Amino acid sequence: MAADNNESPEKKQSIGADLIIPICAVVFTLYYISTILDSPWTAKVTAYLIGSVLIGLCFLLFVRSGYAVRRGRADLSFKSLIEPVEALPRRLALFGLTLAYIVFLPIVGFTLTTFVFLSAGMLLLSRGEGRRFKFILAGCLSVGWFALLVVGFKRRFPLGWVDEQLKVGISDLYGFLEGLFSASGGV
Amino acid sequence: MEFDFSSYPGIFVHTLGFWWVILPAIILGIIVGAIPGFSAANTIIILLPLTLAMGEEIGLIFMTALYASSRMGAGLPAILVNIPGTAGAAATPLDGYPMTQQGKAPQALAISFVSSCIGGLLTTVLVLFIMPYVAQVIYYIHSVELVIIMLFGISLIASIAARDTLKGLIAGFFGLMIGTIGADHIYATPRGTMGFLELYDGVPLIPALVGLFAISEAFLVVERKSILTDAGAKLMKDSSWAEVFEGVNETLKRWWHVTWTSLIGLVIGVVPGAGAAIASFVAYQQSRTFSKTPELYGTGHIEGLIAPESANNGVTAGTLVPLLIIGIPGGATAAIMLVVMQYHGMTVGPDLFIQQPKLAFGVFTTMAVAYVFMTFLALPMARYTSRITTVSTVYIAPLIISFTLVGAFVPRAYVFDIFLALAFGVIGYVARKTGYHVAAILIGIVLGRLMEFRLLVALKSAEGDLMVLFSSTIGNILWAMLVFSLVLPYFLEWKRNRAAANETADAPEA
Repeated sequence: MAADNNESPEKKQSIGADLIIPICAVVFTLYYISTILDSPWTAKVTAYLIGSVLIGLCFLLFVRSGYAVRRGRADLSFKSLIEPVEALPRRLALFGLTLAYIVFLPIVGFTLTTFVFLSAGMLLLSRGEGRRFKFILAGCLSVGWFALLVVGFKRRFPLGWVDEQLKVGISDLYGFLEGLFSASGGV
Repeated sequence: MEFDFSSYPGIFVHTLGFWWVILPAIILGIIVGAIPGFSAANTIIILLPLTLAMGEEIGLIFMTALYASSRMGAGLPAILVNIPGTAGAAATPLDGYPMTQQGKAPQALAISFVSSCIGGLLTTVLVLFIMPYVAQVIYYIHSVELVIIMLFGISLIASIAARDTLKGLIAGFFGLMIGTIGADHIYATPRGTMGFLELYDGVPLIPALVGLFAISEAFLVVERKSILTDAGAKLMKDSSWAEVFEGVNETLKRWWHVTWTSLIGLVIGVVPGAGAAIASFVAYQQSRTFSKTPELYGTGHIEGLIAPESANNGVTAGTLVPLLIIGIPGGATAAIMLVVMQYHGMTVGPDLFIQQPKLAFGVFTTMAVAYVFMTFLALPMARYTSRITTVSTVYIAPLIISFTLVGAFVPRAYVFDIFLALAFGVIGYVARKTGYHVAAILIGIVLGRLMEFRLLVALKSAEGDLMVLFSSTIGNILWAMLVFSLVLPYFLEWKRNRAAANETADAPEA
């Protein structure tokens, strides 16, 4: 034990975060099994087979981790998950922005939400530098996306006021070009 | 079924006349293959009114060229930004992305494109000659064999995550567990759905792929100014056509590697349901097992990139064999092609080759022509698209998130799927930071539901007796191969270590 105690804390492996996935896996497996307790065997058989192997594997990892901690080779900190710490605020802000993007997409519509997300995301990561370029880029990309996906590929995206106006505008432009093409002797 | 091989050159020339259909289809295929959510299958569905209106021959040529090129397109984002366009390209970033980080994106893209084209072309030409024999494979593969083939795919997880096999297995089985979410196949009992109706059909693959690979990658790249290392940035700054040709040269030097890995893809492609995801991982694992430098895999090794790309293009020709000969589609895109063919009144099966040989053989000659055209398109693409890697992460991270979340929404048009992609993004981020391979989770999700279905069919036929899994000769051979493929890497490593130890012992002391 003396040798273990002499080991510097810097050399210890941080394995607390390594346990997140197995814990989630065990919790999910137990929840999954709780939903099939009264089901026919056909609904249970695969889950029991896979679930038991998964729990067994997680148990092995817990034992291995416990042994490493006990021997002083590792600690249960979450350093590996949050390092480098200086990037953490940016990462969390980007996550918040992504969540807001998904929440507001069905309410505000595709183009405006995408524009706000892209410009805010780029400004956030560049700490507000080059605003004009980023606004123009975000505008072009969101309108381009709309034209390609909604008008071109006819995909059903949540549409807001801006999208409706754009749709009318693009249809008018298409009609104008078609008229111009016909007038010049095209098909 | 008799084939007149002498008619092939004539059919090839006839197909060449449709270059005006093949070229746009290739460009469209590469684009949709590169966008997660826009697989060839989705695009053919979207363009169904067009393909139905085109007439049977042109429609079939258009679909075939689009299908072939989409496989190549899927490797593009996998190499450049670590986001596979489809599950079939999930093994591509294992060595493709490290090459990009080292500033070798032009070489990596050239290797990927050339091995895709050669692998695809080779298997297509081969299929034209051995089609009747390859098609026989399907008669010997039943549910028991399919379960073992899928277990074979899962066993690769341990090999993929070789640095920590236990974590690799946990990731794979966690993926399998997630893959079985949804109503059960027989009584439609909801399982593990957390009350979400949207999960009754199972976990949709595209949001899982987008989250595990793309969203997690976006959260990771914000740590750096560029996806390139400092040395890689310097290399990319000075890159020219020479790097592209270096990639072409490196691939051509390894022609045998391209050949045998594409053949793995062809054989797996013939088996319905197995698909490109399994083929590319099997090829990757076999390539590493028989390599003299297995320790280089995962660090940007050329052969680690050639294997999955040749294999997933080999699958393309393979999936069309059972479709045309016995009317069983080998994959989703082949199934949609069958719908279009039936709409035009075409009866697939041996009669098709006798009554409409130009049409039946034309599918494969179209594929061959498409691969030839792709070779010429690929080189400029490798040169110029690799420039994306020099763009700052300030732009890359928000673009990846927005671009791929939209892709997650496209297949089912549920806002729920975007939330699901974000949830998988968080899982993917934690997994990457803590050494659990996201590809292992994805493979588990891909195979979970398929495996459950096949297992149930096998068990039902044996009244619930698990020993049915050991009841067929082919199945038992596959079991032996599975065990062999798991043990072989450890055996070879032991042999190498022993040889190294002997060399050290024999070396004269200084």
